[in-house]
Amino acid sequence: MHENHRIIGPDDRILITGSNGFIGSRVVDTLLRSGFSNLRCFVRPSSNLTALQAVLAAAPGARVEVMPGNLLSREDCAKAAKDVAAIFHLAAGTTKNFAGSFLNCVVTTRNLMEAAAKFGCLQRFVHVSSFAVYSNWNIRRGGLLDETCELESRPVERAEAYAFAKLKQERLVVEYAEKHGIPYVILRPGAVYGPGVRDLTKRVGIDTFGVFFHLGGSNQIPLSYVDNCAEAIVLAGLKPEIDGEVFNIVDDDLPSSRKFLRKYKRHTKGFKSIYIPYWLFYGLCWLWEKYSKWSEGQFPPVFNRRRCAALWKGNRYSNQKLKDRVGWKPKFPFSEASRRYFEYLERTI
Amino acid sequence: MLRVAIVGCGKIADLHAEQIQYIPGCQIVGVCDREELMAQQLAERLNVPAHFTEVQDLLDHAKPDVVHITTPPQTHHSIGKSCLEAGRHVYIEKPFTIDLEEAQELISMAEHKNLKLTVGHHYQFSHAARRMRELVVEGYLGGSPVHMDSYYGYDLGGGDYARALLGDRHHWVRMLPGGLLQNNISHGISKVAEFLKGDVPQVIAYGFTSPFLRNLGETEIIDELRVIMHDGTATAYFTFSSQMRPCLHQLRMYGPRNGLIVDERQQTVIKVKGAPYQSYLQQFVPPWVYAKQYIGNSLGNMRKFLKADFQADYGMKVLIQTFYRAITDGGSLPIPYEEILRTSRIMEEIFSQLRSSRPPPKSVLPPET
Repeated sequence: MHENHRIIGPDDRILITGSNGFIGSRVVDTLLRSGFSNLRCFVRPSSNLTALQAVLAAAPGARVEVMPGNLLSREDCAKAAKDVAAIFHLAAGTTKNFAGSFLNCVVTTRNLMEAAAKFGCLQRFVHVSSFAVYSNWNIRRGGLLDETCELESRPVERAEAYAFAKLKQERLVVEYAEKHGIPYVILRPGAVYGPGVRDLTKRVGIDTFGVFFHLGGSNQIPLSYVDNCAEAIVLAGLKPEIDGEVFNIVDDDLPSSRKFLRKYKRHTKGFKSIYIPYWLFYGLCWLWEKYSKWSEGQFPPVFNRRRCAALWKGNRYSNQKLKDRVGWKPKFPFSEASRRYFEYLERTI
Repeated sequence: MLRVAIVGCGKIADLHAEQIQYIPGCQIVGVCDREELMAQQLAERLNVPAHFTEVQDLLDHAKPDVVHITTPPQTHHSIGKSCLEAGRHVYIEKPFTIDLEEAQELISMAEHKNLKLTVGHHYQFSHAARRMRELVVEGYLGGSPVHMDSYYGYDLGGGDYARALLGDRHHWVRMLPGGLLQNNISHGISKVAEFLKGDVPQVIAYGFTSPFLRNLGETEIIDELRVIMHDGTATAYFTFSSQMRPCLHQLRMYGPRNGLIVDERQQTVIKVKGAPYQSYLQQFVPPWVYAKQYIGNSLGNMRKFLKADFQADYGMKVLIQTFYRAITDGGSLPIPYEEILRTSRIMEEIFSQLRSSRPPPKSVLPPET
């Protein structure tokens, strides 16, 4: 990216939360490679810093400050947000309970935004959200899901703590950005994969009781290779004149669930999978919902029709807005990205 | 209609709210958390009409009959006191209070004001615990327990709670006088406190940091505890372990005639016959008798499951229901006050001994792995 096409200079300080995470460490790497050398990497005190340290070791001249802290602490947030020109907010709670997920997504984000607002020097809050915030309830199978689509309006019914928390987090970002005059951009990555993550995305299927149920069938999977994703986040985060915009991040040449699963099996130890068509699983989810209600939660409603639709109904996805407005294109096509990913799996499984 | 409020909107509040929703004749009228966003999210998810950040506002405006306190234990006493002063019945999550003095004060206040108070020892109301109690009342043990053995395992290796605790030097659990133990052992201690007699059982406690934690650089958290208790008649052992596998939640009790093994995780109650069999039959017959009992337990559990009577938090539902009945119908309290106080007293003595004991010589410390 040319320097004139960035909202901040290479010496301006950038804060990255979740910087030791799967995507966060690649964002740090991309920033360093793009010439930004004044980084503040916020990490949990208990984090295993292996991923981040590997990235930092490759950039010995950079002024990188690794700051351990807790975003639930306003004091830590104030230290983290001090004198930063841009914040890449990737930290998120991934616990499976609603309260924990909300606390670690929403309350932390509020603390960070309030701290940033006090210093008044923030030029961009880059919020990394998720595809989990969308609802495809009113989109037909195979219909296009893009940035104009509706967000989930009944997240509690979906019984997905993460989706609930990410939705609330996004709303809070918009609300606080408007309240405090903070310029922001929201990025919604699809299913991010790459070296560092072994598990298949749920959009392909679920592994339960030792059996893998293939639920994606011929659906297109909204994959985003981690390096492509990190580059999109950095480009969109620093691009001028896109404040307040939302971008989906998915790669080109998206494979079908069936194709991706076949490749995955070939490059891992292999396992048996049972294909369940969407209509059948949707029916089972309906029954599960009914049973959950009748039995007063003997089985929690983790399988339900809204969640089933969100994950396995099957849609088409577009990265056109990201390409048009930000000028991003995936550095690694699916053939190369998947080769790197499966090589990693072969090495580690 | 019983008006219910919840103070503290974290993970445990969700469990309470779920159970309360299934109990007829009550309604959650307000939730409260010092962090407004947390109060707001719980109210939104459960369609609760009002949320607050101050307990007094909750009491004044939502006017609950009963308040569930699901905040960190350091605040149980002050919030409980405010609720009792305002004339509300109170359900306090475990551990009841930080120390015995606070527990005594709350109970005296409840008695003085003719209000009801209970603590969230819900494992006391699981199917297995209730079956065990029936057998004890029927006299299966042949008299009062002679000895009890309570195991409470806790898996520290994984889980969000453990990660949060290890990663945060200022985590509220670390700030408790008894640390991790204080937040976890009351379930296991209450199992034996129910059957010990007298107010002041003799307690000998020994605790240490497991090799697992020491290898992670943790030196403050005691996650292994062994306790001996004696009330003058009966004795009890209590084991809390983060490392022992299987992660037992078990009570073994032995009377003058027979014994019982109650497993909370498996929801089984096994009768252990005291009288021996003749000769080699002692080696041949009991395994069949136990096999038959285990099959019976399994079938019984399946029957309850099919009748939708086997929820993961069934014990909590029964405890809450029984407590509400005590409020509305004047029935007896689900957990007697002397049992709550005995549990508090035993825990206080354990923590006092752990604090005052010097680190044992290196030769008795378990080897590093």
